[in-house]
Amino acid sequence: MAETALSVPAAAAPNAAPLGGRLFGTLVPRLVAGLVILLGWELVVRGFAPAYVAKPSTVLMAIPRVIVDPAFLTATGQTLAAVAEGLAIALAAGTIIGLLIGRSSGFDRAVRHYINGFYAMPMIIVLPLFSLWFGYSGAARIATVVFAAIFSIILNVADGARSVPREYLEVARAFRAGGRSVLTEIVLPSSMPYLLAGFRLAAGRALIGAVVAEFFISIGGLGYFILYNSRIYRHSEAFVGVLLLAAFGVGFEVLVQWTTRRFMPWYRRDEKAN
Amino acid sequence: MTAENGLYPVLNTSLRRHAPFWLSILAGLALWEIAGRSTSAAFMVPFSETLVRLWQLIASGEFIPELLDSAKLFITGFAIALAVGAPLGLLLARVRVLRVGVEPYIMILYATPMVALIPFILSLMGFGFAPKVLVVFLFAVFPVLYNTVEGARSIKPELIEVAKSYRSGEWALWRDVMLPYTLPYIMTGVRQAIGRALVGMVAAEFFLSSTGLGQLISGASQNFDTAGVFASILVIGLIGVGLMRLGQAIENRFARWRQ
Repeated sequence: MAETALSVPAAAAPNAAPLGGRLFGTLVPRLVAGLVILLGWELVVRGFAPAYVAKPSTVLMAIPRVIVDPAFLTATGQTLAAVAEGLAIALAAGTIIGLLIGRSSGFDRAVRHYINGFYAMPMIIVLPLFSLWFGYSGAARIATVVFAAIFSIILNVADGARSVPREYLEVARAFRAGGRSVLTEIVLPSSMPYLLAGFRLAAGRALIGAVVAEFFISIGGLGYFILYNSRIYRHSEAFVGVLLLAAFGVGFEVLVQWTTRRFMPWYRRDEKAN
Repeated sequence: MTAENGLYPVLNTSLRRHAPFWLSILAGLALWEIAGRSTSAAFMVPFSETLVRLWQLIASGEFIPELLDSAKLFITGFAIALAVGAPLGLLLARVRVLRVGVEPYIMILYATPMVALIPFILSLMGFGFAPKVLVVFLFAVFPVLYNTVEGARSIKPELIEVAKSYRSGEWALWRDVMLPYTLPYIMTGVRQAIGRALVGMVAAEFFLSSTGLGQLISGASQNFDTAGVFASILVIGLIGVGLMRLGQAIENRFARWRQ
């Protein structure tokens, strides 16, 4: 799996052993563990489960078939488009609301409990409501994605806007900077790492939101592809969809980590949010 | 009020501290009421009608059994996740080869949207109680496991060396060094797992056999009973906030140990 290869260098870095030591210290146990997991899965399914149940060998054989299947490609495109659109809306609105909360204590007091409350809600309970409001359509899916994603962005941006170093603001005031330029040129860039941390969380939640919405309202997409194929007992094909979702989840993580390291090398706050 | 200022300073400060909270809640409820009254009843229901509907649901005896049903599912799944995740995490931290080998796979599973596995669970295990517990378990176990491993691997090697040089047995080492040291991290996992288990619970009730609060809300939605939908969302939302607070309190209580 491609994901494993990605996480190897990051985890191997701390014990900067010579090549041989690293090879036998980390790579071999990982490969062995991976093989044991796959083999165990294969044997258990072969021994105890009906033939249609997904096992590594059949999933592997299904991959080339599925990734050229137009239905699969369309479904992936639909889900990704909805996630991207929803995330864009959540990012824009969430950043604005977050900045307001972080910089105005009145606004903070007025809405803080609601943001925290909505964030604590299991996001999927809004599905029945959204399906009433938007009908069984793509709009309900986007609304779910926005709802799933926006609150972690708001909370993190507000955190970031609150922790802008006071000196920056004082210098800006001394140079008679206007309110808006302070917001866009000082507060926003300085809360960027927080925004990225919030985005990382939001992306994961958005993906879940899109899949759950597709389950619930049965509209085309990767979630529905998985649901449909597993219903007609094509589990191996359906599992390729799960693998792709897992790859997206890990991919977002890696992308945000890379962006933080590349563009904000001074910043180290890996484990704040969540 | 002015007379009380001198007499009840405690009351006064607590009033001042909590006034913004209640003002904000009252304003929100008023806004909800107005919005509900000025839109169509199929779209949105005012706060007052939501409360009336909620009372009807409780009085008719529909509500409490569903709530208990959900609670049973949540607690069973969560307890199993904790009972499996924490010891497994400690074991992984203790046996280095095992940890190094399995770590990337735990990371991947932690990042995978578990909801995607629900269709498989449905078609393999059907509609009983066990598949739903499995869903809650899958949602909750990885935060516990992940945080336990993180905590246990940050144990200073000196601690273990000292324990070893005093000829501490393996069991004593676990009980007196590893578990106490890791507990705050496990509690971080518990807090994250509470939120995830709640999502898992509702997802299981939506997509596997319909029971509990999930059934109440999706049933109301299918009958276009908007008031019922709002009443259920209100209750589940409040439960979510309450559990989140509880998790935070548990985490903070144990965080004092962590340097």
